[in-house]
Amino acid sequence: MRILIVEDEPTLRTQLAEALGAAGYAVDVADNGVDAHYMGDTEPYDAVVLDLGLPQMDGITVLRKWRAAGRGIPVLILTARDGWHEKVAGIDAGADDYLTKPFHMEELLARLRALIRRAGGHASPELVCGPLTLDTRNSRATVAGQMLTLTSHEYRVLAYLMHHRDEVVSRGSLVEHIYAQDFDRDSNTVEVFIARLRKKLPPGLIETVRGLGYRLSSPS
Amino acid sequence: MNVPGLRGSLRVRLLAGTLFWIAASILVAGWGLASLFRQHVTTQFYTELTSHLDQLTAQLTLDEQGNPRLALPLSDPRLSRPYSGCYWQIDLVGDIRGGDSVVAGQLRSRSLWDHVLVSPPGIPADGEIHRHRISGPEGKMLGMVERSVRIDEAADGKPRTFRLIAAADERLMSDPIARFSGILWLALGVLAAGLILAALVQVFVGLAPLRTLRTALGKVRSGETQRLEGTFPDELTPLIDEFNSVLAQNAEVVERARTHAGNLAHALKTPLSVLANAAGRAGNAERSELARLVVDQVAIAQRQVDYHLARAQVAANSRVPGAKTALHPVVEGLARAMRRIHAERQLELIVRPFPESLSFRGETQDLQEMLGNLIDNACKWANRQVEVSAQSSKITLTITIDDDGPGLAVEKREAVIRRGVRADEKVKGSGLGLAIVDDLARLYGGLLDLMDSPLGGLRVVLTLPACQ
Repeated sequence: MRILIVEDEPTLRTQLAEALGAAGYAVDVADNGVDAHYMGDTEPYDAVVLDLGLPQMDGITVLRKWRAAGRGIPVLILTARDGWHEKVAGIDAGADDYLTKPFHMEELLARLRALIRRAGGHASPELVCGPLTLDTRNSRATVAGQMLTLTSHEYRVLAYLMHHRDEVVSRGSLVEHIYAQDFDRDSNTVEVFIARLRKKLPPGLIETVRGLGYRLSSPS
Repeated sequence: MNVPGLRGSLRVRLLAGTLFWIAASILVAGWGLASLFRQHVTTQFYTELTSHLDQLTAQLTLDEQGNPRLALPLSDPRLSRPYSGCYWQIDLVGDIRGGDSVVAGQLRSRSLWDHVLVSPPGIPADGEIHRHRISGPEGKMLGMVERSVRIDEAADGKPRTFRLIAAADERLMSDPIARFSGILWLALGVLAAGLILAALVQVFVGLAPLRTLRTALGKVRSGETQRLEGTFPDELTPLIDEFNSVLAQNAEVVERARTHAGNLAHALKTPLSVLANAAGRAGNAERSELARLVVDQVAIAQRQVDYHLARAQVAANSRVPGAKTALHPVVEGLARAMRRIHAERQLELIVRPFPESLSFRGETQDLQEMLGNLIDNACKWANRQVEVSAQSSKITLTITIDDDGPGLAVEKREAVIRRGVRADEKVKGSGLGLAIVDDLARLYGGLLDLMDSPLGGLRVVLTLPACQ
């Protein structure tokens, strides 16, 4: 899962990036509205954490432009502006959630998880596929109750596949959703992660669709 | 013009001035016309008497005995009708025995009948005409003219001096004057009444724009309009324009204050977030005393910022006249936001239909703030259901918010509303909401009430001033 953090205050931006990285997300950051708009417009993020008071272009304008261009990325507004008129304006501009500063990092993570889950059409924070269960609240995967030990990249690949289970996910889109922008991407590494996951998961859960990509589905 | 009564009322001022001038000019005109007429009538009266005297002089001759006699009777018929009011008389003066003895009434007009006019002593010198007032027949006052005539060529050769008198009843002079004055004052009275009526109408019509202005101001105060509207006379237009710019400026100042308050919030809250996050992580890692202290103090600081920010905005807002906010879009907007923000909770947020015309007399943001806090609170505590409904009477707007949550014990309700800013308040999300709503409602002269909800939880009733 790849997240864009838009925040102009450097310390808070770093804290957010670290916390989200620790929670298993690939994180990109932007510190102004124009960059943020461009990144959101060109990269396939799974969610955006958006500050409103931004240099060059304010957050609401960025959000409106995305929505006007038909970009449906889940957006969580994180701002100090806590007036209800501002919340309503934010929601009406197309935000999916609104969190005011100061905030608890745990709450931000919980809301972000929920946002991504809802965007994928999942109602429960626990994603299930046959014997495999992924608890997005604590980033744990279990097979028939047994906890899996996963590296952060393995977790990201698995989480993305779980959010899109029963769909064919191309290698390219996997790359785009598990790596941050400035990461040296190599699509071959995806095959490595898939191979490692297959070893840890029951057989048949991840199938390769030739020429298209991978599909995670229940074998039954 | 510093008399309190006059300073108090434009109408009294204008009327007093106008009435004074009407009265003064009517009086001067009446007095002038009356004296002009009196002078004219008097002149005519004495001209006639003098002409009688001239005729008498011309017709006077002496008979053989030397007694005065008229060659021809005088032409005016009134002189031969008894007590007609027009008289003449010829007195023989002195020369008979020397000295100034007078034989009055040697010859008299028929109209005098048996009355003899008694002229005051003193014989006019030759060529002089004297005027006197004397009493005549039946005690009436007469105006009279007299002259003396000396006749030398008498039969007996003795020269004689006669005093010739023409007199007339003064009523011949005073009656027309009285009649004229009567008509004159009546006419002037009617004129004065007309002028006063015109003045009243003028003041009423002239001051009508002030009443319109008052109505327009009332509308601004009651929130129906944002500025003074309507057509006003040229003299008032600059005043209206000035007033409208004051209103606009006022709104602008409030908007600026609000923006400043928002900027202050932003400026303070982001560093607070940074501090809290840093301390939170350190606290988890090391359980350090300092970290916990920072976390606590940041929470207190945040509460203080929230509270005073809200207060500052409220204080700036409620003074803006002319604000009017339709309830419907505000509730709809909040409901949209709530459904998103509480999407995880699978709540049923029901807005019961209410008339679109319901309006709040106040600022949109304040209404959003109050309802936002209340509905948000209800959504936080509700199990599954939150209901919003609204009614309006002529002057109040009542918004009711029900939830099916755990509710609030009666004894705690007062404390929750009156909480204000208190450092020991640690329950997240239940801090300032109701207290700020209560503050806001009170500033608008409204009311916040907590009671049991038929849904099982808490019912919050917010009463606010309505706008027609």
